[in-house]
Amino acid sequence: MRQQYAWRSMTLAGFLGFFALAIIFQVMRIQNSQEAAIFRQQASNYASELKTFYPDRGEIYDRNGHLLAGNKTVYEVGVNLTAVEDPNAVAMTLSVELGVDYAQTLALLQTPPKGLSYVVIKDFVEADKAATLQQLKATMQGQASAGVFGSLTGLEFKAHPQRSYPEGSLASNILGFVNREGRGYFGVEEKYDTLLAGNPVHVVIPTDPNKAMDIPHVPDGTTLILTVNRDLQAAAESILDDGIDTYGAKGGTIVVMDPRNGEILAMASTPRMDLNQFWNYGVIYQNASEFNPAISMPYEPGSVYKILTMAAALDSGTVVPGTQFLDTGQILVGGATIRNWDYGAWGLQDMTGCLQHSLNVCLAWISTQMGPQIFYNYMDNFGLGHLTGIDLAGEAAGRLKVPGDSDWYPVDLGTNAFGQGVAATPIQLMMAASSIANHGRTVIPHVLHTMVREGRQYSAPAQFAGSPISEQTADTLNGMLAVSLEQESSDALVPGYKIAGKTGTAQIPTPYGYYDSTATNASFIGWGPADDPQFMIYVWLEEPSESIWGSQTAAPVFAKMAAKTVVMLDIPPDSVRQQLVSK
Amino acid sequence: MNLQNINHLVHAYKIAPWRIQRQWIGNILLAVVTLAMIAALYLDVTAQAAIAGREIQDLTAGIAASQQASADLQTELAVLTSASVMEERAQSLGYQPIESNAVEYLVVPGYSAPQPQIAAVAPQPQLSAPKIIPEYTQSLLDWFAQSISLSPRGLR
Repeated sequence: MRQQYAWRSMTLAGFLGFFALAIIFQVMRIQNSQEAAIFRQQASNYASELKTFYPDRGEIYDRNGHLLAGNKTVYEVGVNLTAVEDPNAVAMTLSVELGVDYAQTLALLQTPPKGLSYVVIKDFVEADKAATLQQLKATMQGQASAGVFGSLTGLEFKAHPQRSYPEGSLASNILGFVNREGRGYFGVEEKYDTLLAGNPVHVVIPTDPNKAMDIPHVPDGTTLILTVNRDLQAAAESILDDGIDTYGAKGGTIVVMDPRNGEILAMASTPRMDLNQFWNYGVIYQNASEFNPAISMPYEPGSVYKILTMAAALDSGTVVPGTQFLDTGQILVGGATIRNWDYGAWGLQDMTGCLQHSLNVCLAWISTQMGPQIFYNYMDNFGLGHLTGIDLAGEAAGRLKVPGDSDWYPVDLGTNAFGQGVAATPIQLMMAASSIANHGRTVIPHVLHTMVREGRQYSAPAQFAGSPISEQTADTLNGMLAVSLEQESSDALVPGYKIAGKTGTAQIPTPYGYYDSTATNASFIGWGPADDPQFMIYVWLEEPSESIWGSQTAAPVFAKMAAKTVVMLDIPPDSVRQQLVSK
Repeated sequence: MNLQNINHLVHAYKIAPWRIQRQWIGNILLAVVTLAMIAALYLDVTAQAAIAGREIQDLTAGIAASQQASADLQTELAVLTSASVMEERAQSLGYQPIESNAVEYLVVPGYSAPQPQIAAVAPQPQLSAPKIIPEYTQSLLDWFAQSISLSPRGLR
């Protein structure tokens, strides 16, 4: 009996054992089957996803910490086609809220292109508009179940950052803009595009939450702090707009620079654009050089150029301040007769008088005394015809014809001396003139003050481009320019401050090879206080109609800007500064 | 004789089939319980790791949302304090731009104005995100292997 039970038990155990083995065998067979390999392949496709982490674009601040360019959240509004319950309701809502075409949207939702499960209806939707839609979706979701309204199921929102410019059009010519693809155009945005954008990080992330992994550290783009003073920039733009209105100019530029280190404090120009609506670029500007004329639009500067000719002459020993010149009202250079701006003869003049009365004949005589080699060597050393290296995209080099060039003629030596036949940008002239204001050393203009990346800070140092003239020459000419302005009772003077500077009125060359007799470019370059220059201002008014003369248009604009600058930069009048020095 | 009987009984007891069966059952049960405990422990650790992984994903999304909100607020603040808005506000409060000849400067002997700090002092750089501790990434087998390798015997 006992043996019988044992036999039965053994049979049952054997059967169960066989059954278990069969299960194991089947499991192994399934696991190693062809289908299993396919399933494993399919599963591996979803086991991980390649995710790209885009860093936030770095911000741009002015020197006092005012945000000039930041980021804000906008939304991509799309529809998950597999989840849509009521295409009519979705299309109608999107049509009303986002202004998209109802019929087109409905057709897209009802008969989507094959293989699509998600369609983007509109991107870069403002946060408040997206919030309204989200609220509407929630409300209609609740009411849809009661059968009152259609459901907005399927409507999806994806947040992403977009460039934002809180100051609108302020300093637009300096900043440039970023398009929707995240690429910077013009100004700082283009020049420092790589730094601002940062480096995207690509990571393969397992979808299995069990496989936890380190979150990749994605450093934000570099934050830039500019040398620009926002309030001074606003004042410059306001003064420029007033000046253009007052003098009926077609356009204009004002640049304020610290001549000691090349920091650009303000750079205003017209026209300006609201950077938040960068798509209007093509409407506002006809070509790229108009975006920031201060660096990208070379022009014949006229008499402001005379300070460079005089600097070269003094430094080379061709003349001294007391050198006498008898102005007969005309001079023959290279077979052409050069006359003064008023066609008059000014008689015996010293070099200060030549500058004070802006005598073309005198300056042409000086350049011929120097000779072309010395004259053009100096102009080359001043940086004319070369890029200044300012850290803004789109700089133009201008043109300085030199002997040997196919289009250089001997008369050019005479006309170049007073700024005719030579093309330069305002920033080039400021850089060249900085050697006079800065005791002989030329500064390289720049707008970057500091960059901050991952908590590390790098300050851009002042850079110098050599010493084209000696300290003694610079100081002598500085004094001559201050005296000439005072003696002229120039409209550029600022009460309480000694200013050095020079006006310029330049005829505009036409494409037909002669000069327009009715239109001029009016300019003024000046700096102050003359004994310790802390600011340098360049004013350029294009074709002023109220008066063609720089002394009557650009000079008063300069005075207005200088008066504002001394207040905003806390520069006391000369008398107070002298008191401070004496104590 | 009695002693022989006792020895015989003890031997019979030792080789009794029910006793051998019970030993087998006991051993199998022990193995099953051990496996169940290991499975339960593994399930618990796996579940905890999965929850932690999901929490990390949520927190990452939260961080991104906070950063976006922060950027939005910063931009909004900049708009509210932009040059044009501040100028309008100042004018509405009755302020006027000062002219250079209206400024009065007072010379204070021995005083030198502090230079403005344009950029703040850099904080300590954080070069990478904090590391996830091994408890959230190790499998049970990894943990055993690590424990064995770190034990005094394993170090030998």
